[in-house]
Amino acid sequence: MTLQWQPSPPDHVPAELMVDFDFFKIPQGEGDPAQIWHDLVRRGVPPIFYTPHNGGHWVFLKYDDIVEGYRDHEKFSTFQTPIPPIEPYPVVMPQGVDPPEHKVFRTLLAPMFTPHAVRKMHDDLAQRARRIIDRFADKGGCDFIADYASQFPTATFLELFGLPEERLPEFLEIAGVFFHSTDPDERAQNLNDIYAVLEELFREKERNPGTDLASAIVAARDAEGKQHPWIDILNCGFLLFVAGLDTVTNTMAYIWRYLATTPEAREYFRARLDDPAAFLLGIEELMRINAVSNIYRRVTHDFEYKGIQFRRNDRVILPNTVANRDGAIFKNPQMIDLDRKVNNHVTFGVGPHRCIGSHLAKREVMVSMQEWLRRIPEFELAEDQKESSAFGGSVMGFTSLELRW
Amino acid sequence: MKVIANLHICQGHARCEDLCPEVFSTDEIEGKVVVLQSEFPPELEDKVRLAVRNCPEGALRIAKGAAA
Repeated sequence: MTLQWQPSPPDHVPAELMVDFDFFKIPQGEGDPAQIWHDLVRRGVPPIFYTPHNGGHWVFLKYDDIVEGYRDHEKFSTFQTPIPPIEPYPVVMPQGVDPPEHKVFRTLLAPMFTPHAVRKMHDDLAQRARRIIDRFADKGGCDFIADYASQFPTATFLELFGLPEERLPEFLEIAGVFFHSTDPDERAQNLNDIYAVLEELFREKERNPGTDLASAIVAARDAEGKQHPWIDILNCGFLLFVAGLDTVTNTMAYIWRYLATTPEAREYFRARLDDPAAFLLGIEELMRINAVSNIYRRVTHDFEYKGIQFRRNDRVILPNTVANRDGAIFKNPQMIDLDRKVNNHVTFGVGPHRCIGSHLAKREVMVSMQEWLRRIPEFELAEDQKESSAFGGSVMGFTSLELRW
Repeated sequence: MKVIANLHICQGHARCEDLCPEVFSTDEIEGKVVVLQSEFPPELEDKVRLAVRNCPEGALRIAKGAAA
């Protein structure tokens, strides 16, 4: 490979920590977008390195450092972190603010996402999954992304927000642009569109409150009995929109890709269809091995960490997929062991920003899989997969996945 | 044997509840761990130990003896 660029590191980055790495670029013909991360480890690059691509940022490759990046919000902030930088960028609430400010919305949302609350959603989720599967089950094949994996979490989001399912195409459209457009003008317009939808939604819920999440957010009062600032409410809606769609879609895509090529795994889960606790244990391993999110942090002030100089506003990426396959933590880290006993994966992060939707996400994956396996117990990859379907970035995944049965 | 939860460290992953619901539950407000029986019977020891080792935050520990 020819070195096309001349690295010009910021003056606090030593040359030996510079690596040519662009996490948005997936090589032609690469089936698994996470592979570019695992290749870094295999090549033996420094466990903390700096790349000049995408505005320049650090990458952590060790489980312990990634966990530190999550836990120590006084060093590694979640405020205004996009890579490459987007200005202005919404203050995603509460994910995008640090404690103690973080606590206000976290406390507001928490009861709606507890394991207890999510268990109550189980039957609705199962019905929704069956409704979607009904549309293609008899066709002998589908594009898994378009027909199932993007529809299911998006329809779940609509339900949570008290919106009618008829609006699904509109939401799939704006979510599609948000997650996949690289055109700056289109992205700016898309952000406006999303905020216009949220504005309309919350105003409507203010007039006609329901039992949904959007109504709860708009009805919530702060310690002085006042409604939360309107912009925070919108930003909270934005977070739930951004965080709950593409992550679930692509986690499902990875999992089905694996199931389609692994008869023993299909058999394993089919044998546990009526034992949710055992089923969930297998899901946990699939969550470890299929961690789609690469999480951003921003350095709050100049400091030294592990002998390396960090400067205020440096960006850092915490690749969960790498942490989850760290041999210092996991036995046979590259092996998928559905009966794995100790599984401290960081797919949902750790520390104060642990993904608040983790229990819903896991339940969505579990239910969508249970209902699918009941209806379509055997399936495989279709021969005509689209070229270059894999994409990288903050959420990795596939734009299409053709299955047949 | 006794299991102790540190609620300042717990972030509500609920892995303990998944792995050993006899001993661990979660609350309905924050989703943090609720220890149902801190002094657990010996037949649950393996499950409790598994739950402790699976806590991504390290918020659980086992203390030996009633005085712990």
